[in-house]
Parts: sequence; C-alpha cells; structure tokens
Amino acid sequence: MRDRMLRRRRFLRAGLAAAIIGPGILGRSRAATAGAEEDAVVRVAKKAKPAELNGMIWSLYYRNMQRLAEEFRSLTGIGVRNIQDISIFQIPQRAMAEALARSPEFDFFHVDSNMIPSLASAGLLEPLDEYMAETGYRLDMVGNFASFMRYRGKTYGIPTDGNVHIQYIRKDYFENPDEQKAFADKHGRPLTWPRTWEEHQQIVEFFHRPERGLIGSGSLRNRANGVTWWYMYFYSAGGFPFTDELEPALATGAGEYAVDVYLNLKKASHPEAPNWGTPQMIPQIVGGHVFSAQYWDGTCRQIESDPKSATRGKFLYGLVPGSTRSGRLVHRSISSPLAAVLVNRHSPRKRQAAYLALYWGTLRNSTEIVSHPEWTFHDPWHTGHFQSPEVEQRYTRAGLEAIKRNLLVTTPPIYLTGHLEFQDALAKHLSEAYIGQLAPREVLTRTEEEWRRLVAKIGKRKLKEELASYKAAFPRVDVPS
Amino acid sequence: MSRRRAPGGLFRWVVLTPFVALLAFIAPVFLLQLYVSLHSWTVYLTTWWDAEFVGFDMFREVLTDPRFGWAILRSLVFAGLSTAGCFVVGFGLALLMAPSFRGHGVFYTLFLLPMLTVPIVIAYTFEMLLYQKGPVNGILSALLGTDVTVMWLADPRIAVLTTVLLEVWNWTPFVFIILLAGLAGLPRELEEAAASLGASRWRIFLEVKLPLLRPVIVLALVLRFLEALGEFPKTWALFQGGPGTATETIPVYLYLTTWHYFHVSKGAAMSYVVMVLVVGLVLLALRVLRRETRALDRMDGGPGGAR
Amino acid sequence: MRRAARRRLAALGRLLLLGSWGLAVAFPMYWLVATSFKPDHEWFAWPPVYWTRTPTLENYRTVWLGEARVYRTQEALSMQKPWLALRHSLTIALLATGLSVALGTLLAYGASRYGLLSERRLFNLLMLRMVPPIVVAAPLTLYYSALHLLDSVTGLVIVYVITTLPYSVWMTKSFVDEIPREVEQAAAILGAGRWRTLWEVTLPLIRSGVVATFMFVLILTWSEYLIALILTKTEVVTLPVQLAKYEGSAEGRVYGRQAALAVGVTIPLIVVGCLIRRHLVRGFSFGMVRR
Repeated sequence: MRDRMLRRRRFLRAGLAAAIIGPGILGRSRAATAGAEEDAVVRVAKKAKPAELNGMIWSLYYRNMQRLAEEFRSLTGIGVRNIQDISIFQIPQRAMAEALARSPEFDFFHVDSNMIPSLASAGLLEPLDEYMAETGYRLDMVGNFASFMRYRGKTYGIPTDGNVHIQYIRKDYFENPDEQKAFADKHGRPLTWPRTWEEHQQIVEFFHRPERGLIGSGSLRNRANGVTWWYMYFYSAGGFPFTDELEPALATGAGEYAVDVYLNLKKASHPEAPNWGTPQMIPQIVGGHVFSAQYWDGTCRQIESDPKSATRGKFLYGLVPGSTRSGRLVHRSISSPLAAVLVNRHSPRKRQAAYLALYWGTLRNSTEIVSHPEWTFHDPWHTGHFQSPEVEQRYTRAGLEAIKRNLLVTTPPIYLTGHLEFQDALAKHLSEAYIGQLAPREVLTRTEEEWRRLVAKIGKRKLKEELASYKAAFPRVDVPS
Repeated sequence: MSRRRAPGGLFRWVVLTPFVALLAFIAPVFLLQLYVSLHSWTVYLTTWWDAEFVGFDMFREVLTDPRFGWAILRSLVFAGLSTAGCFVVGFGLALLMAPSFRGHGVFYTLFLLPMLTVPIVIAYTFEMLLYQKGPVNGILSALLGTDVTVMWLADPRIAVLTTVLLEVWNWTPFVFIILLAGLAGLPRELEEAAASLGASRWRIFLEVKLPLLRPVIVLALVLRFLEALGEFPKTWALFQGGPGTATETIPVYLYLTTWHYFHVSKGAAMSYVVMVLVVGLVLLALRVLRRETRALDRMDGGPGGAR
Repeated sequence: MRRAARRRLAALGRLLLLGSWGLAVAFPMYWLVATSFKPDHEWFAWPPVYWTRTPTLENYRTVWLGEARVYRTQEALSMQKPWLALRHSLTIALLATGLSVALGTLLAYGASRYGLLSERRLFNLLMLRMVPPIVVAAPLTLYYSALHLLDSVTGLVIVYVITTLPYSVWMTKSFVDEIPREVEQAAAILGAGRWRTLWEVTLPLIRSGVVATFMFVLILTWSEYLIALILTKTEVVTLPVQLAKYEGSAEGRVYGRQAALAVGVTIPLIVVGCLIRRHLVRGFSFGMVRR
C-alpha cells in the first residue's frame, strides 16, 4: 500500500515536472527551428542603436504586424513609436509628398511596391541589399515575384502582402447539371473552365441574372480600380505599353483587344459598377450575388473563413483566363497593389527600419502575418507560405493552389517612374468610355497623347534605363503548370 | 459724420501688429507658388531650387488645356445651380418663417442642422442613401408608385445633379438665415404706409420689400457662389471626380494635378489662374454690392448706416 | 368667416411646405443615427432597413472604446483613436476660432471707428477668403515643412485663423457699425479710455454678433477637411480626417462605424448651434440690415 502510494506520488511528481518543463522545451525548440532566420536579423540589429520608428502604414495592415514589432523591440530595442494611419490607396501620394519635401520624418512606408521606381527616382528609398547581405536574408518569393521588389539592380522593398488576382467561379452554378445542359444547348460546347477571355465572356453573360440577384461579372469598373483588369487583357494579348524607344504602344491590336474585352463585360456587370469600389463589391461577392470575378486573392479567405460569409464552400478557385491573340495561349494575372515595406533614405534611422522590415519578412513571421485568424489583409507571397498548414487553413487547399498558379503568371501594372500618372491617364479614359462619354477608339489615342507628354517630361533616357527592370518583372511562362 | 483722426500709440499697434504679422507669415507661400509656377519642376529629377526657369510656359499650358476649361465650366455650373437652389429654397423658407407662429422654434432649429453638419459626414451619409437600391430610391418608389432606379452615384448625367443637391442641402441654412435677417430688418413703417395706401400684399412684396432686400440677397448669393467654387470634400469623397470626369470641378482637378500627378508646376500656374478668376469675380460682386448698399443708403434717406 | 378659413388654409399650406423641407433635412440625419445602431449586415441591405429591429451598441463600442482592445500596449494612445482626434479637433477649433474672432473684432472695431483699415484693405481681406484653400496647399506644405510646422497644432491654428479672419472681421464689423458713436462719445465724456469703452460699452452691445461670428467660424474650423488632411501626419489628427479612415477593404465600407464616429463629430456643433440659434439671425446681417 505504502509502496503503491509512494510510486504514485513519484509518478505524479515526475508527471508534474514534465508538464512544467515540457512545453518550455518544446516551445523553445519550435522557436529554435524557425528562429535561425530571425536570430540572424536580431543579432545584427542589436549592433545598431535602439530607436523608435515612425511609419506610414494603414492600421488595417499594421494590426497583423504589431505584435511582431513589439517582439522586435523587446529583442533589439528597435520599435514602432507612431504610425500615420491612412489607406494604402492614398499612401503613394503621401509618400511622394514626403519625397518632395525630402522629409526624414517617416522611417518606413508600407505602400504599393509598384511605386518603387517613382519613389526611388525621387530619392526617397534606401536600397536593402546591404542589410540583406549582413543578415543573410534572402527574398524567397514564388516564381518571378521577387523582381517586383527590385529596381535597376537593387532591392527596395520587403513584401508583406502578395496580392494577385485569381479567378472565382460559383461552384453551385458551375457544377449544376441543369445549368451545364442549358449552357451546352445554347452554345454548343460544354461548360468548362474559361481558358480565354472570349469563353469567359460567354459564360458570364449566360449567368448574368440581375432579376434574380446574380451578377455575371464582379470585376471592378470604377475609375480608380477598373484599369487593373485592363492590364490582364492587354498583357495576355501580347501587348506591352511601350516600344524600346519609349513610344507608347497602346493603339495596337492588343490595346484595342483589351479595350473591347473591358467594355464588353459591361453586359454582364452591375449597372452601378462605375461607382463601386472594393468596399461595395466585396460584400456582393461574399454575400453570394456574383457568379464570376477575377479578384484579389484575399477575398477567397474571407469567403472561406469569415463567419458571416454566405458562400463558404461555394466557390471554385483557379487560373484567370488568357488570350490566344498573340498566336499561342498566354495567361496573365495582375498584382496591384502589392504591399511592401520601403525604407526612407533620408531618415537617420534607416538602418533600424531596414532590420525591422527584414524581421517582418522572415518565413516564420510572415506566415504569422499572413495567417492571422481574424484579419485578412495580407496574402501569401513566400514560397514557404504554400507549404504552411496555418496558411492553408485560412485559404483552403484549392485557394492556395490557385494563388500559386496565378502568381507564376502575374505582372505589374506599369513598373516605371511616373506610374501613377501613366495609369491615371489610362484609367480616366477607360472610365469615360465605359459610361459612354468617350468612343472606344479614342481611349487609346488620347492616352497615348498624354503618355507622350509625360515621357517627354520625365525624360526618355531615364525611362529607357528603367525598361529592363520593368520587363524583368514579367513572367517566364505562359501557362503555369 | 467725420471720422476721428486715426489714433496712434498702443491701440493701433495692438490691433494691427498681429494682423500684419499674419499676412507677413503667409506671404512667402504665395511667393513660393509664383516661383514654382515659373519653373518646370519635375519632382522625380530635381529639388525645387534646382528647377529650370521656363517663364510663362506653364501658364500657357494651363490656358490651352481643354480639361482645365471643362473644369472651370463645371465649377461655374455647379456653383450657379447650387446657389440658385439655395436661394429658391432659402428664400422660400425665410418668407414662410418670417412671421412667428406655433412651432416656429422647432422648424428653425431643424433647418439649421444641415449647416452644422461636417461636409464629409454629409458625403458619407448621402452615399449610403443614394445607392440604386438605397433608401432614397426606395422612398421615391413608394411615393410615385413606380420602380425608381435612378443611379445617383453612377450615372454621369445625374452625378452633377447629385453634387448640386448635396450642396443645396448643406448650405441652404446659410442663405436662409441671411434672408431671414434681412426680412426681419425691413422697416415696418414702409410696409404699413404702403398697406394704408391700399397696396395688395403681393404688390407690397414686389415693390417695397424686394427692392429693400436686394443688397441682402446679392450678398448672400455672392458669398454662397464664391464658396461653392471651392467645394471639395463632398465632391471628392463621393465621386473623386467621376464617374468618368463628370464631376471634375476646379478643386478636384487642382488636387489631382498637384497631389496625384505631381505636376506641381502646372498646379501652381493653375492656382494662379484660378486666383485671378476668383478675384475678378469678387471685384465684380463687390462693385454690385456697393452699388446696392449705396442705393439702400439713399433710400434710407441719410446717414442711417455707419459708413 | 372666409378670412379665417383662408388664414387656416394658409397656415396649413405653410405647415406642408415647411414640413416637406423639414423631412428632407431630418431624414438623412435620422439615417445617420439609425445606421450607427445597425449591425453590419443591415448597413447595405436590400430592401433598405428603415427601422432596425436589432439595434446594437457595437459600432459605438468599437469606435469609441473598442480600439483599445486592438492595440493593447502603450502605443494604443498614439494610434489615432477617436478620443485623440476629438481632443485635437476641440483644441484646434476652439483656439483658432477664439483667436480669429478676437482679432477680427479688434480689427473691425478699429476699421469702423478709426479707419485703421481702408475700404480697399477690407475688400482685399475678403478676397483672401474667397480663394479656395486647395490653391495654396502645395507650397504651404513645403513652407511648413521648412518651418517644422507640419503635423502641429500651431501650424493648423495659424492657417485656420488666416482663412477665417475675413469672416470674423466682416461679420463683427456690421455689428460695430450699428452702434451709434454717441454711445461711445458719452462714455468718453464720462472719462472712459479707449480700451475701457471697447470692453465695457461696445462689446456687450454687439454680443449677439460676436456670438454668431464665433459660431460660424467654429463650423468652418471644426469641419475643415482638406487642409487638415494635407498638413497632418502622425502627431495631429482632426475628426474629419479620422472619419475618412474608416474604410475597410475587407469588410466593405464600414458604414456603421463611420456613422458612430460621424454622430460624435456632429453632435458638438449641433449642441452649440442650438444654444446660440437666437443670435444667428442678428449676427448674419453683414451690415445690410438697417434698424
């Protein structure tokens, strides 16, 4: 009896000890295996003076990153003191204003990486290669994606949100046998995943049933965002906005093709689309009123993980359509905006800001940022994200596959100095044509006129030097496996 | 009555110094603006003190820019229509509210509210209301019995009307109060004299009240018109100049040019052109105002006012 | 009998007309307040939810209190919470309005009594106001940046004082003009100095005018959006700028939250406006009204 009790007590004591020490060991080992990258950054960062940083970043992005920033402070003394909280769509202009004033006030900017050429030209950005070499950090992005962070041979940004457009199609309609039969009867071919924009047009028109609350196409057509879709049509048709001599090359076959596709989709879009931005469209998609859209990949996560989603499990995810116009089938998706941390060259704390940016960009930390259970802004970009169970849990296996495939064929909008101006000229004319204020032909000719003036203003020689970085960001494959 | 000699000493200094100081403080801004408008500052390539001098090239570019011309036209149309709307509603309200009656206070307070609301709040509120499937269309449908599907926010032809309606909603109280003040200040004796002479209410209104009110009306309209030329938050928050370019007024175009395209030099030149335009309008308005006030003085029959 | 009937008909007609505009005014305000109490699935619903059956305080909690849950540390206080914006808005608006009206009254008094400012100068002053502020925003940023006045309460107050001074001067001047000089001459005969006359004799007489001016200028400074947007960054934030931040790309336009903030932004002005409404009619006469 006494022996048994002694044995039990010893067993209990051992068990208690194990219970206390065990997680400590396990935890540390988990941190240790994922911690090599972080440790390297922390070790180098400790050598720099502690500093409190100011950032220009949208709070809706920052909330995923804040815990890590505080952790970084406890490890190295480098922390974030204050942020200017404005929407990422406004940050490009504000960052340019900072560049104009050569202001050292902000240490880092969290902004669309497509602004890198413009901001670097304005002297605002600090190249990060030196810091990456110091810490042994490597930018490990899917496919060609890392070139989106590079400009004229130097790296300027660490991404946190790898945006790309993926194709969403309503499974419950698409796989419904009655619908399939009706479609086959009407069009003489089976209902298959749209490989080209023409097939896509047929399908969305077929499923455009506004009287029943179903919109065929949920692509945005407002002045601010609609142009993002246009690039997909244009690039997949083999177009490129400039010749090697920096002559605008919009009024070509590819350009006209893109404008036609853009305007044709009006037949399957909501009539209020010209005024709808993403705040208006996302509830429509998640709420079940949209049949098909090419849309930012983060929405897939909302569809699957948001408790209030009306469409969980009802969407298929896949590759965006392409075009055979150039002679072979080419798929092109678009990444805009692509949120990355950029460091201010004028700041006296740029070194510390760079280390913080690298810290956010390690595999373990970026996985934490991307897979946060509640907040959905950051999307996968690191090759490691696509093998992470946490990320897969948020996006589903199918979603993650779709994202990866589209990332392999994604393009930037216009990766040159003056990106905002070039894009806005095009966006303005597209939106005017969409509401019937401008003839479709005029869209391209007028935009080319404005572009010629812009090129003259910015300088042909300068832009020619940037063409290489622009083209380097283009995908190497036409159809991803 | 003759003026006293301007005082020297403490009083003058205390009053004028802060004023002059403020003006001196703000003067460099205009000089900087002038400098930038005379140079071609490509923000990507140089600092502003290295920019190349181009004389009046920027001004020439602005004055031959069709988009600028359209923006001016849109601003004038917007200001004109919204001022007219404010006047019609404001004057109507003032006339109805001039005599006191039961419930006067409630209505008065209610009518003040739109002017007390922050414009950007108005923009967001009306955005909620004006969706094609929103409450406004819902109520109109119920009232008219048919399905009203006006696209207040997405139809380019209607968008301008929407901005005008918002402006009228926002600033009618301003005109209303000024006109109410004017009506309240009308000398009773003239009215009573005319009434005792047998003039009908309508005739009294047209030939006695209205002429006396003219300077007040002109003042209210001028102030409102000029303010409306500079309206920015509601137009920008709701439309950002769209759909297409339907609501691209001067402030919107100026904002885009300077803050989106970073054509800072062109923006500076544009600002000067707009300033000249506005100053011209103000001078014109002030001349009219002065004429009206002098007529009023004469009608008053003597130095009733302190001028 | 006919006269009485006609009068009643006129009263009814008046009620109808006033009532229609009253409804047009009240409905958007009602919608704003109603939305602030709606749960998120009702913000953008079809058919529209005119009267919510599931009112919630969640919007107010999240906007005015809940942010604290999001940012758990010391940083929370500097991360642009609405209370910070409220504090800044109050400080800036009251300071700017107070200074503007004080200076404006002095100038108006000087101009009216002693011709300190000629007619021409006064008109120039008005012209300054009529120029849309957007026009000077860009060089102002550069200038302020050089002076380290960007993102500061002082910088914003200075701009607001300058842009509202014309209204302050013109509105109070009309009131000062109305006070007959005899009153002041009487005070002078009784031995009062210039300052005492101003403070004890003139000011009380023009009280409604000053109050109306204060109110009007307060509206302008409290609701100002563009300059505040351009001149502030991290340290300073005003309520209109804060309001523009409530755009959640993932959640859709967060109307409910915006409404909860908007109600907070609007209530102070409405309260002040209601308190001084009686003074407004007198104050808005701009010298055009003869008594």
